[in-house]
Amino acid sequence: MKIALIGQPNAGKSTLFNSVAGYKSATSNLPGTTVRYTESRVRLNGHVCQLVDFPGTYSLSSSNEAEAEVTRYLLKGEFDLIINIIDASQLGRSLLLTLELMELGVPLVIGLNMIDEAGRKGITINHERLGEILGIPVQTTVASKNLGVRDLFILAKKVIDGRLGSEIKKMSYQKDVEKIIAELEGILTQKFSVSLTYPSRFLAMKMLEDDGFYKDVVISLNGDLLSPKITELQNRLVKLRGKPQDSVLLLERSALAMDTYSQVVTLGAPQHDWRERLDSVVMHKVAGYFILLAVLLGFFYAVFEVGALLEGYLIEGFDSVTGLLSGYFNTTSFIFHLTQSAIWGISGGVAIVLPYLVPFLIGLTLLEDAGYLPRVAFLMDAFMHRIGLHGTSIVPAVLGYGCNVPAVMATRILPSRRDKIIAAVISSMVPCSARSVVIFGLVAFYLGPLWAFGIYVFNIVVVATSGKVLSLLMPEVSPGMIMEIPPYRWPSFQVIRKKTWFRIKEFIVVAWPILIVGSVVLGLLEYFRLDAWINAGLSPLTSFIGLPAVVGTTLIFGVLRKELALIMLTQAIGTTSVLTVMSATQILTFTVFITFYIPCVATMAVLAKELGRKWMTMVIFLTLFLATFFSYMVHLGGAHIF
Amino acid sequence: MKSLLDIRANTQVKIVSISGGKNARRTLGQMGIGIGSIIRLKRNAPFAGPLLIEIHGSSVAIGRGVAVKILVEEI
Repeated sequence: MKIALIGQPNAGKSTLFNSVAGYKSATSNLPGTTVRYTESRVRLNGHVCQLVDFPGTYSLSSSNEAEAEVTRYLLKGEFDLIINIIDASQLGRSLLLTLELMELGVPLVIGLNMIDEAGRKGITINHERLGEILGIPVQTTVASKNLGVRDLFILAKKVIDGRLGSEIKKMSYQKDVEKIIAELEGILTQKFSVSLTYPSRFLAMKMLEDDGFYKDVVISLNGDLLSPKITELQNRLVKLRGKPQDSVLLLERSALAMDTYSQVVTLGAPQHDWRERLDSVVMHKVAGYFILLAVLLGFFYAVFEVGALLEGYLIEGFDSVTGLLSGYFNTTSFIFHLTQSAIWGISGGVAIVLPYLVPFLIGLTLLEDAGYLPRVAFLMDAFMHRIGLHGTSIVPAVLGYGCNVPAVMATRILPSRRDKIIAAVISSMVPCSARSVVIFGLVAFYLGPLWAFGIYVFNIVVVATSGKVLSLLMPEVSPGMIMEIPPYRWPSFQVIRKKTWFRIKEFIVVAWPILIVGSVVLGLLEYFRLDAWINAGLSPLTSFIGLPAVVGTTLIFGVLRKELALIMLTQAIGTTSVLTVMSATQILTFTVFITFYIPCVATMAVLAKELGRKWMTMVIFLTLFLATFFSYMVHLGGAHIF
Repeated sequence: MKSLLDIRANTQVKIVSISGGKNARRTLGQMGIGIGSIIRLKRNAPFAGPLLIEIHGSSVAIGRGVAVKILVEEI
């Protein structure tokens, strides 16, 4: 059994998916969070079935890559059922997608989600009537509170087993338009009745909408023999309605959707609550920017205060363990060296990384789930325009503060390849949580939080400048921003807990072992005096930017995981009191270098996948150049400041 | 005919036409914004920033480049 979860962005698909599959799919109150498919095996009433969470899509047209991919997989994936998740407070708009899904010939069930929010907006939906009109079983749910989710899947199972006997109704457009669709459908089935993998009526409609992706599908089957006929039919549509052909079908669909909407919805007075008043301040033309600054500073200080407090205690604890160890073993022995470096790796993860990582991730999750990030995009749109991109491009960049990998993936929501390239390049330059750990653990801890904040601000300037330069190199009029600003939602404690744990678990199972192995490898290198060779090889670079030669090795290992550079730094210089060995300038130089140089291997891999190797190589050289340049500047300037 | 840019905040308007690119029209259409839609302009952002409109109770931010192509009439 294979079930697809589909819906418009921010309808709550991933929340629903996670509530049945455990936390596996990233959720947030930000349209476009899911850009890849997450699959999970779940047991429904004792039956194992495969559940696939799709990226949110407004329609089955293909105006961007993510959307084209949805339809392709939906039709080739051999799904037994589609669960269409609808944001009940957006029913009118959501039905546009439902009407398209109904053309695919796959059984459907509707999950009418966020029914509580619809109630607050004064929208009452007769869901039984909705089911009758469409011929699709409907279940109301509140996925965030896990209400109705079980019933939804029981309903899904019934439909798959054919125990409900419901049949999807054929939703007809107006007669004159139907006639044209039917004519093209007839030609399509006649020409390639065997090789057609898409439902003929659906394909005919997409042809008439002049959808590039489906035109290519037909051209690949038959060359452009059909093209004149299609153009002729499109022109007839234009003549019928006096509007562009793509608008005609959309308007027909809207009319059907609105007709259905008006039959099932009773509108009451919406509760104009605190959310609207909050928005008038948060998105205010002046106050909005002050609030943005305050939120960022508040976030920053909170992470630092909590992190520094914990780091202090934990490091003390681990230092005493290392102290004890030297009592048992001969400090020059191989065993001592090995154990000590292993402990260093373990303690680095617990005492240096986690104290900052945990509050950082909790804070980021809070901002994401409350819905503040789209407001940031709104406020930043004017500035993003200056650097030649539109506000939507900030979504990947902001996701980058968590981790660059999903950030680069999220660039798929951008409509043009050029925007995608620029956004992906700048997203990979945003300090992710791993780099933030280095910034907090070194600069904030030793030089004070304001210095660390300065690095972030400086990074934003560099990222913006790089974006500007790239957009000048690739001139193209960027399509304007069209982005939904979702309502504020109270972040649920359960979701925050699960989501933070999901990300921390990733650190524990993926990064931590790398840290430990990395520390042991460094310990071995030191024992056999091999690190001297590496350090000597890198000494032109390290001496150029004024760093002690011993940090050379850490820069190499930092490519694997950025936190590794921090842990190995303390190991390479042989103490956790960094300030005794390195000067303030050197700490700053090191951090700036780590923040800007080559993205980690995981980011490189995803860059190569999304943009191609050429761009990945360019990013490597660009970031290496920037890192060296800025560290050199810090090295020069630091002498005057400290 | 006025474009959406010329409209002051807190005004209800009806969309008369959307000129320009197919992609913008499609993206708008997917959000339920098309010819004949009745929308409320919620605000004009500063520094030539985007506009915020309300349609069917949801908020959508629209860049100025797109807004200038949306022709509307006040109702």
